[in-house]
Amino acid sequence: MTSWQKKAALTLACSISACGGPAPEAESSGAVAAVDEADALVVYTTNYPLAYFAERIGGDRVRVEFPAPPEVDPAYWSPSAEEIAAYQAADVILLNGAGYEGWVAKTSLPESKLVNTSAGLEERYLVAEDAVMHTHGPEGEHEHENVAFTTWLDPTLAIEQARAIRDALAELLPGAEAELQIGFEALEADLTEIDGRLEAWAAGRAGQALLASHPVYQYLARRYELNLRSVHFEPDEVPTAGGWRDLAALMQGHSADWMLWEGRPLDETSGRLASDYGVGSVVFAPVGNRPASGDYLDAMRANVEALEALPAS
Amino acid sequence: MRDTFYLAWRYLAFHRVKTVILVGAITLIVFLPVGLRVIVNQSSRQLTARAEATPLVIGAKGSPTELTLNTLYFSSDVPARTTYAAASEVTATDLAQAIPMYVRYRVQGQPIVGTTLEYFGFRGLTLAEGRQMAVLGEAVLGWRAAERLGVGPGDHVISSPESVFDIAGVYPLRMPVVGVLEFSDSADDDAVFVDVKTAWVIEGLGHGHQDLSRPEASAGVLRREGNVVVGNASVMQYNEITPDNIDSFHFHGDLSDFPLTAVIVAPPDQRSSALLQGRYQSAELNQIVSPSEVMDELLDTILTVEKFVIAGAVTVGLATLATAFLVFALSLRLRRRERETLFKIGGSRAAVATVMTSEIVAVLAAGVLLALLLTFLTQRYGDVIIRALIR
Repeated sequence: MTSWQKKAALTLACSISACGGPAPEAESSGAVAAVDEADALVVYTTNYPLAYFAERIGGDRVRVEFPAPPEVDPAYWSPSAEEIAAYQAADVILLNGAGYEGWVAKTSLPESKLVNTSAGLEERYLVAEDAVMHTHGPEGEHEHENVAFTTWLDPTLAIEQARAIRDALAELLPGAEAELQIGFEALEADLTEIDGRLEAWAAGRAGQALLASHPVYQYLARRYELNLRSVHFEPDEVPTAGGWRDLAALMQGHSADWMLWEGRPLDETSGRLASDYGVGSVVFAPVGNRPASGDYLDAMRANVEALEALPAS
Repeated sequence: MRDTFYLAWRYLAFHRVKTVILVGAITLIVFLPVGLRVIVNQSSRQLTARAEATPLVIGAKGSPTELTLNTLYFSSDVPARTTYAAASEVTATDLAQAIPMYVRYRVQGQPIVGTTLEYFGFRGLTLAEGRQMAVLGEAVLGWRAAERLGVGPGDHVISSPESVFDIAGVYPLRMPVVGVLEFSDSADDDAVFVDVKTAWVIEGLGHGHQDLSRPEASAGVLRREGNVVVGNASVMQYNEITPDNIDSFHFHGDLSDFPLTAVIVAPPDQRSSALLQGRYQSAELNQIVSPSEVMDELLDTILTVEKFVIAGAVTVGLATLATAFLVFALSLRLRRRERETLFKIGGSRAAVATVMTSEIVAVLAAGVLLALLLTFLTQRYGDVIIRALIR
């Protein structure tokens, strides 16, 4: 095993083990008065980051529900009729926006309860490069393009989404503004710490080519000016021959040493990546769904630690 | 005395045609003004109540009456279309709740009301059976619509083309019925409620079709330009939204440009209402109307017409009464020999007079009773008649 392969294996191991890190700290540093669960505001979310943010900001004042099963990617999940009924009965429904929850456009949800947490960030949306568009009809007037939706991977955007959650909760919980602000500030401090560490890590790697197994890191790449290009590899599937050809073609002009993965890749995949292409694997989980252990912050810190453990080029 | 009444009764029964004509005339004399009054009172109460429960309505500039009647009673006269942006603008002001309405299509004559879940809360509508609509394409029926269409949860309804010549127009959409509302004694009982997005699917603004990026859809592909696949007219579109094809349904264009017939606006207080009305004073495209004011104007017109109709009815009534009096007078003269016979067989003058009077009183009483019965029926079923007339 070459030295870089050892480092890659170590990095992979670190990044995976960190997901099951120590138990989370108290979720809110603010002293929140205990609220009867029956009186708590029922908040439904469409992904885990929003659920985590709402829990941190609302504390005992809210009962946060995120009904997607743990094994699915919430971006491609659709709730059942019963789950939609539960969303309809919620006090507030937090959306990620940026086209994240495609199912919302095909369901009947009370519009007055919908809060698009990235509504104020539309000018900062990114177009997903690899999306397939289609047109048809008279004069081809029908056309649509996809927006990149993992907005929270840019911690500064995540903070803005958290701010939108605080404002939405404050409107529904008059008199609790101070408690919500305490929760928000604690969360903001944690996200700022993540941002600072990522910024410091990226500062030493300006222009370094990186690969992503999937086009989900657009906002992360923009925030830290990463030279990141994506393929379409699934962690739990061995890439097809076409997939390997795409990678080879991509690497012609983009000689990267590392590939970011949403989850731990199969040994066969990471082994071939290392042996045939000289590319190491590192897990940077988008945390769209609940991690197997720990919480959002643990998972993001594990992501940062995995990146920090990468050798400088 | 019983004998006297018996003689009167036998006389009326023997001359049944004359009796029926007289009773009918008396009935109409009494019922016409009274029944009309009841109808007008009921309609004004009904129109006012629903209008007062609908604080403001925003729609494209045009007839305020058409806009109000379509929004409140789902009338078939469709007002000029505004866009979904009108609802978003109201929501953005934070001054009121905005409920989009798209009332254009029908299911066998029953109006399809495209709206949001807020409408049900706003009108206080509750489910009698089934559940609330959850996904695109589902319908919740008003009580009477379910009864007329003979459907309930688990059945389907199909949107009707706007006209028989609408061959190249909208696709009929087959929609599962998932719930039926409790009887509300309002226009909502006649409606087929769908999500406003489903109404846009009926219009063709949203649709589902084969995935053009897949090999089996190659026949529907005109050309490929990089990441853009251009489809041709043969692309197969779905006319029912099912769990298997719902993922293929999508909307083209900006939702804010999609059409609405109206936006119901529910401000929490007078101040918000006044501020909103002020904002639309100089609006170029849209108008804001107060349904109660529109209905008051409509009722003023109805009341004016009612006065003329009642004046006419009273005149006709007086003429009919005079004719009836003449009929009775002539009848008495013609029955002179009958009276003499009664005297000869021992009937007193008073008894004979009682027989004649009983006949007249019986005819008048029967006419009045029948008029009262008709008035009762009008009161009982007037709502239905009024709604049928409005629709």
